Amino acid sequence: MKKITTLALSLAAISSFGFAKEITIAAVMPVTGAVAAYGQTAYEGVTLANKMRPTLKNGDTIKVVLLDTRGEKVETSNATTRAISQNKAVGIIGELITANTMQVMAIADKNKIPVIAPAATSDKLLDNVKFGSRVCFMDSFQGKAAAEFAAKDLGYKTAVIVVDQAQVYSLGLAKTFEAEFTKNGGKVLTKLRISSGDKDFKAIVSQIKSQNPDFVYVPTYHPEAALLARQAKQINLNKPMLGSDGVANPTFIELGGDSVDGFIFSDSFDASNPPTELSKKFLDEYEKDKGTRDIAGFTALGADAYFVMVEAMDKCADPGDSVCVNDQIHQTKEFSGVSGVISIDSKGNAIRSVVMKEIVGGKPTFKANVNP
Amino acid sequence: MEFSLFLQNMVNGFSLGSMYALIAIGYTMVYGVLRLINFAHGDIMMVGAYVCFFGMVSLNLPFIAAVVFAVTICAALGIITDTIAYKPLRKAPRISLLITAIGISFFLENLFNVIFGSEAKAFVIPQYLQKVLTFGDITLAMSAVFVPIITLILLAITLFILYRTKYGMAIRALAFDIHTVNLMGIDANLIIAIVFALGSMLAAIGGVFWSLNYPSIEPMMGVLIGLKAFAAAVLGGIGSVGGAVLGGFIIGFTEVVVVSLSPEFSGFKDAFAFIFLILILIFKPTGILGYDFEKSRF
Repeated sequence: MKKITTLALSLAAISSFGFAKEITIAAVMPVTGAVAAYGQTAYEGVTLANKMRPTLKNGDTIKVVLLDTRGEKVETSNATTRAISQNKAVGIIGELITANTMQVMAIADKNKIPVIAPAATSDKLLDNVKFGSRVCFMDSFQGKAAAEFAAKDLGYKTAVIVVDQAQVYSLGLAKTFEAEFTKNGGKVLTKLRISSGDKDFKAIVSQIKSQNPDFVYVPTYHPEAALLARQAKQINLNKPMLGSDGVANPTFIELGGDSVDGFIFSDSFDASNPPTELSKKFLDEYEKDKGTRDIAGFTALGADAYFVMVEAMDKCADPGDSVCVNDQIHQTKEFSGVSGVISIDSKGNAIRSVVMKEIVGGKPTFKANVNP
Repeated sequence: MEFSLFLQNMVNGFSLGSMYALIAIGYTMVYGVLRLINFAHGDIMMVGAYVCFFGMVSLNLPFIAAVVFAVTICAALGIITDTIAYKPLRKAPRISLLITAIGISFFLENLFNVIFGSEAKAFVIPQYLQKVLTFGDITLAMSAVFVPIITLILLAITLFILYRTKYGMAIRALAFDIHTVNLMGIDANLIIAIVFALGSMLAAIGGVFWSLNYPSIEPMMGVLIGLKAFAAAVLGGIGSVGGAVLGGFIIGFTEVVVVSLSPEFSGFKDAFAFIFLILILIFKPTGILGYDFEKSRF
């Protein structure tokens, strides 16, 4: 009897020390579909971060599983449910689009699984959830930064806003931009509405031309922004355009061609001046992997979502204890991530800087840094 | 609204409408002969755009050759879909045909999704069509001039085929009464194949024109455009080729006018186009140039 007890005890000891467990983090992202560019760039960041830091402090290995959402709401909730019930994920990184991220968070919240959104910027994102957080800035800050930059640094007085009425993201940005721009002495001449998936913006650009503003604010995703810029050039509308991080990816430049030269947009990260030690290391790794140092903002944010989550897991006795992990994420202070220094407040919102960039000769180039 | 803006909008509406018209002709002709709403038609337009893109980028064909290539492939595709999907169902209820058409539409969308990926690709526009022309206050791209002109020529050719040739007469006869035509020694299947080929060719050209104006192609691009072209065909009176063209222009102009008259509602331009369709149909259920189909012909 004694022998058996000893055997049982030693077995228990072996299993708790000897065998490191495997922890699963799910990346719920659109890698196909209309906004595949977002998911692909962000997933690149998550996998590279996983390669740089594949284990937790206690020796557990971290496995990243990818679940495709195709950028659609129904697919998103399917993928989230699958991540939780089948893959037994203890943490989720994703989605990229605000509306879909809300979907992920609603489901994960019921199951008490912490979610870190790499790029969903809507102010309302975390209103109704406890297990959500993000590493990107909020629209109110992004819109404010763009408005201040336009009014103070560029000295523009009048603007036309083109807003995508089908996207919470775009509506939120337009609203804060208008408020801030007016506060800074600017005037919004008119607000033109488009819908995601629209291709024909000729009437819109003709309307802008007749209004003759100093510049156009276009807080939409890249498929629409690129076509708008093209059609503007076609009718010789050479007004400066200002966008948001919805265009911060290479596909935007590919679709827009020469027409997007001079397009200014807000982003979270600039690869030409890495803000932290971790960004330098990440850039080196990325270069080894892909042979280039051009890293999209979403790649850096995807990596940061991963690092913040792993950091929080390390602080918990049991990395599978989702309540503890979520608390630790919400207590992140001045974490030197890839995209910059990130603090996360008790609600899950990140406090961080915005970078303004301009596309010059088909390449995004650094223009200014806007701090909170 | 200033006069120059008005003129600019007229030009925009004309160019948009002519593209809807090109695609609407295919809907109306197939409906005319088979009483089938060919929901795969919008996707044939998408195939046309992709084949032209593929021809230019991967086969290095000059633009005109790539267009001819796209038109040929689409004509063949039209005939093939008819042969394998619709021909076995000639005697089946119309609803089976409609469901098959939706199936073909999904098949084409997903096939191109697998081959080319779902990301939008930038369509290559030849230099000479990118030139911007300026007339006083109005500016337009070369393609915006070129597209409506070619459309009108193609329309004239289509009408000529329909009303001045032997095959056109056969098509009209088929639309009138398919059973009697068979008894008269006309090969109905051949005529139907011609209708599909003709419609698909026009759709392919429509797809290329669309991509010249809005140079971003993706596998789902045919869905909404196809739906609007279908609405145009119904608005003009489905079964009538002239009606399809008229309907196309009306839908194109409605979209542009909504944006310029009330910019606040510009995001709802699609809704307005369909509201307009409903209004017309309330007062004239057969469409503007349409007639009661059970009793008449082209």
